[in-house]
Amino acid sequence: MRPRLCRMWVVWAGAALLPAGCSDAFNAGPPRYVEQERLTTDFKDKPVLQGKVRAALAKHFGDAPNEIKVPEGSGLPLGGAYLANYVKQGDAVKSIAYVPATPTSGSSDPQPVEGGYGLYRKHCLHCHGVSGAGDGPTSSFLYPRPRDYRKGLFKFTSTPTGAKPTRSDLRKTIEYGLHGTSMPAFEALMSKAEIEQVIDYVIFLSLRGESELSLIDEASTSDEKDPEALSEDVVKDIIQSVAKKWQAAESLVMNPPTPRVEPTHASVMRGRELFLGLNKTGNKVECAGCHGPQAVGNGPTFVAQEVFNHIVFGGNPSAMPERVAELEKSDPKAYELWKTSLDEWGNPLRPANLNRGIYKGGRRPLDIYWRIAKGINGAKMPSHFPTLEPDKIWDLVNFVLELPYEPKLLEGAKLPEALPAAKTAGNAAPTASESIARGQGGL
Amino acid sequence: MRNWSLLFAAAAVASVLAFVYAPFSQEWWLPNASDNYWHVASSYGNQIDHLFILILIITGVVFIGTQVVFVYAAHKFPDAPGRVAKYIHGSQRLEVIWTIIPAAILVFIALYQMGTWADIKFRSAMPKVQPLAEITGRQFQWMMRYPGPDGRLHTDDDLFLVNDLHFVKGKPTLIYLRSADVLHSFYLPELRLKQDAVPGLTIPVWFDSDRAGKLELVCAELCGWGHYKMRGNVTIHDTQAEFDEWMTGKMREQSVDQLVSAQGSKGN
Ligand code: HEC
Ligand code: HEC
Ligand SMILES: [Cu+2]
Repeated sequence: MRPRLCRMWVVWAGAALLPAGCSDAFNAGPPRYVEQERLTTDFKDKPVLQGKVRAALAKHFGDAPNEIKVPEGSGLPLGGAYLANYVKQGDAVKSIAYVPATPTSGSSDPQPVEGGYGLYRKHCLHCHGVSGAGDGPTSSFLYPRPRDYRKGLFKFTSTPTGAKPTRSDLRKTIEYGLHGTSMPAFEALMSKAEIEQVIDYVIFLSLRGESELSLIDEASTSDEKDPEALSEDVVKDIIQSVAKKWQAAESLVMNPPTPRVEPTHASVMRGRELFLGLNKTGNKVECAGCHGPQAVGNGPTFVAQEVFNHIVFGGNPSAMPERVAELEKSDPKAYELWKTSLDEWGNPLRPANLNRGIYKGGRRPLDIYWRIAKGINGAKMPSHFPTLEPDKIWDLVNFVLELPYEPKLLEGAKLPEALPAAKTAGNAAPTASESIARGQGGL
Repeated sequence: MRNWSLLFAAAAVASVLAFVYAPFSQEWWLPNASDNYWHVASSYGNQIDHLFILILIITGVVFIGTQVVFVYAAHKFPDAPGRVAKYIHGSQRLEVIWTIIPAAILVFIALYQMGTWADIKFRSAMPKVQPLAEITGRQFQWMMRYPGPDGRLHTDDDLFLVNDLHFVKGKPTLIYLRSADVLHSFYLPELRLKQDAVPGLTIPVWFDSDRAGKLELVCAELCGWGHYKMRGNVTIHDTQAEFDEWMTGKMREQSVDQLVSAQGSKGN
């Protein structure tokens, strides 16, 4: 029914548009990847190396988004058949937009295969941007900002701190969305096969972006005059080491060592004590330092809610830097706190309000376990395993899941003692990039 | 150029023909069951269609009438050298006529549809059943909260899903509709149900279907740039047992605490 209806509309719309004249003047030309700023700012006197980084990227990933090349050994479908509706074969760019339908669909009409690139352009680009830099046209109006894939850092994973997400982690994000953020659920909008293609493309963009960053790092420590600098072998090694991290993720998945502790009242109360840092024995944890004693997300480690609201929501989103500059002048103390309240992408960050029962990364006990045990990459929420035994983590999970239904649980609760703000977070909390540097902290 | 009138006449005739043809084509006619496209699956569907067709006829007659006058005038009075347009200051009689006739038609429709409205939208008409779910529209998806095994909403066994509506064939089904941000509209075309979701209000909405199968839920109120994304899957189960089994499966998925079972219940 739909295709035919569509055709009918095309006829009508065409009739309406003809006299107006069709024009694609609004089209800004073929899509281009954006570069990391550092490639311009840090390479003012290193034009040769700058050129080498650009050439390496073009050679291994394709010149522009519509000329995808997939580096060998990356684990992604080679040739890009499902990544893009264009492939580069030899020197020719060939459109493979139309291939015969799969036999199961029962029709002999050729069906367009959009491929990951086409699907991404249609569904994701306006937020996540052409290069996956989180800079699409709608992104500046959103809080939180859409993910910049180029750091290779993802928040909601089943793998240890700093490690890459598995395909199922990405699939879950894309199918169900990230609740409480503008990241939508796509299960009803795409077929299973399409979702796999779009996952491939997200990984491709992340691979490309992270390789770009590594190449820039390598180039900035190389000698401009050395003809061997950034040689083909070095480039291949760099790309391979990024790709390997993606492949390793699948075998790093953290299964809780013990099943969930029964969510009894006693368990919830034990979780409450841990949350507030009131437990007499074992390692102290201070969730409340960030999440606040009533778990509304206003702990002293983070900048005050009013300041946050003023800067993030207090006017034109693109004038945020001016509001920050104003804060620096009017309240240097709050400004210091503001600077440490950013996530690793440099965007404003807020601890979750745990009374709402809305969880970005999913509400299964397993999801909450993962969040608490291994933290949230790039978002300051630290890992608590193995500092805390699995049973204690389950107590915390039970507490977190019960809180929205028993708002009185934290009534009148206070922070245990005046904590030096900077120390509150300091529970074995490597930042994600530290863990990456350490080779993903073997668990 | 009196020939322009022929173009306008052709456009009017094509439009009228399209409407005459529509009932004979399943693709053009109102969305209905695939096995019998005259059959509306919901119990108030026929009432809605009746109103719809009545309004189609009224507007059709008015359309044909105005087009005839328009084409006739364009054909009869083309520009002619030396003829000057006549200036009139307005006609009170004409204005009264063209205000009163449409007003009368509107009043007629308003009175005529009252019974249907009462049957579908009045709170007293709501089926006396436990709500199936609380559905909240937000930019840009439908958040669905089912009461879970205890049948009560807002308790800790609630089931949370996105864009996934399930109910049972032949049972009047009640939902509570809300919005988290702007106006949305909950639209089930096959069941002839459309209801705005209004921020700040919890609106009871009921519907039913005498066929099992899969439909689409859409948002029918332009709610922002992602409006087209607000699509949901609707599954109408044959029996309550089938629905319960689905619900049990989903509850199990939501309470997963170990990976083995996570893979088992996801089935891939
Ligand atoms: C309306 C804007 C929007 C659209 C459209 C959108 N996203 Fe997102 N996406 C976001 C936001 C916002 C976040 C980050 C949320 C956060 O950091 O809490 C995000 C995060 C992500 C993440 C990172 C998850 C993690 O674990 O860190 C992935 C992967 C992702 N999106 C994929 C996609 C894909 C694939 C599409 C298209 C099919 C898409 N997004 C469409 C807004 C969007
Ligand atoms: C250093 C500060 C910090 C500490 C300590 C901390 N959190 Fe968080 N937590 C955060 C931030 C920031 C977020 C929000 C991350 C985001 O939105 O991307 C968060 C998010 C969460 C979430 C929501 C996850 C989701 O899927 O939306 C839960 C649950 C949570 N924290 C529980 C805890 C518990 C329990 C503890 C103590 C064991 C704890 N947090 C300690 C900063 C912290
Ligand atoms: Cu909507």
